[in-house]
Amino acid sequence: MLVDFELIERARSGDDGAFNQVVQAYRKRILGTIARLIGRPEDVEDVGQEVFLRLYFSLDQLRTAEVFEPWLYRLTVNAAYDYLRRQKRRPESRMSDLSEQQVMYADAAAGSKVRDEEERRTKIRELAQSLLGKVSEEDRLLLVMKEVEGRTLKELEQIYKVNENALKVRLFRARQRVLKALQAEENAAGSSDAARVFRKDPSES
Amino acid sequence: MDRMDDKSMEGSPLEGRERRLDALWAEYRQASPDPDPGPDFMPSLWQKIDKRRTGNARVFRRLAQVCVMATVALTLLMGAVLIPRIQAEAFFAGSYAEELAAEHINADYTDFLTTGDLR
Repeated sequence: MLVDFELIERARSGDDGAFNQVVQAYRKRILGTIARLIGRPEDVEDVGQEVFLRLYFSLDQLRTAEVFEPWLYRLTVNAAYDYLRRQKRRPESRMSDLSEQQVMYADAAAGSKVRDEEERRTKIRELAQSLLGKVSEEDRLLLVMKEVEGRTLKELEQIYKVNENALKVRLFRARQRVLKALQAEENAAGSSDAARVFRKDPSES
Repeated sequence: MDRMDDKSMEGSPLEGRERRLDALWAEYRQASPDPDPGPDFMPSLWQKIDKRRTGNARVFRRLAQVCVMATVALTLLMGAVLIPRIQAEAFFAGSYAEELAAEHINADYTDFLTTGDLR
């Protein structure tokens, strides 16, 4: 817990100052989780604000301060899910959809100062997002929460309010789908191109 | 993550892929650090909260107005239409004493009351 129970109790009873402190304590962590869940840096703050907005208006429904964190992560997962669903309905323009010239301009705009490490990180993010884009929103969120955010099954049980066995089955199936997507990606890009993405350049070591 | 050795990927292709996927998740976590919130994060959040709060208050105020109007209309309707109709159809038109007298017009005790004869 990043804050003590007393502060949450105060926020729950309508103390705006206490709520402000709770948001300030959790916002960075929640924004990070959202960034990894949705993979769109430009929309992270909007989704983050939606999470805290929902928190503000639902805090009185919180049974005890002890379950605050699972509650907050539940709101985060739900807001990310709503965002992903909305995005699915909208036409999007990703790098792969842009013309070669547009990509060139985008690269130039990013600046030639971008270091190799940043390029590698970008490729990793793109590959992870590309794989996650091949499964349903539900699977994507569950996988990120488990594999990337490192939430335990017990924590996921509290967040999703689903029993552990059901979660295990769901996770196994989601992972299989991603593995299949990874295989397709590797086959399309050459045998180990996808794997090479997350290797460091030998010249760096 | 350190350079992955091809030898570590030996075994079945599936195992190798499983390992690469696990490594990818770890790398993805490292490549996407928690972003710092912008300076407008909190002010913008409070604006949204206030907007929704006033929006909710407006909805409740409108709902209350509608309820009051409906109650007034119903009261007027009952006063103007239903009550006269009910009164017109009233079974007992007279007062309690009149009704009682009419009911027991031939009863013995009324004779007693008028004559004072106990026998």
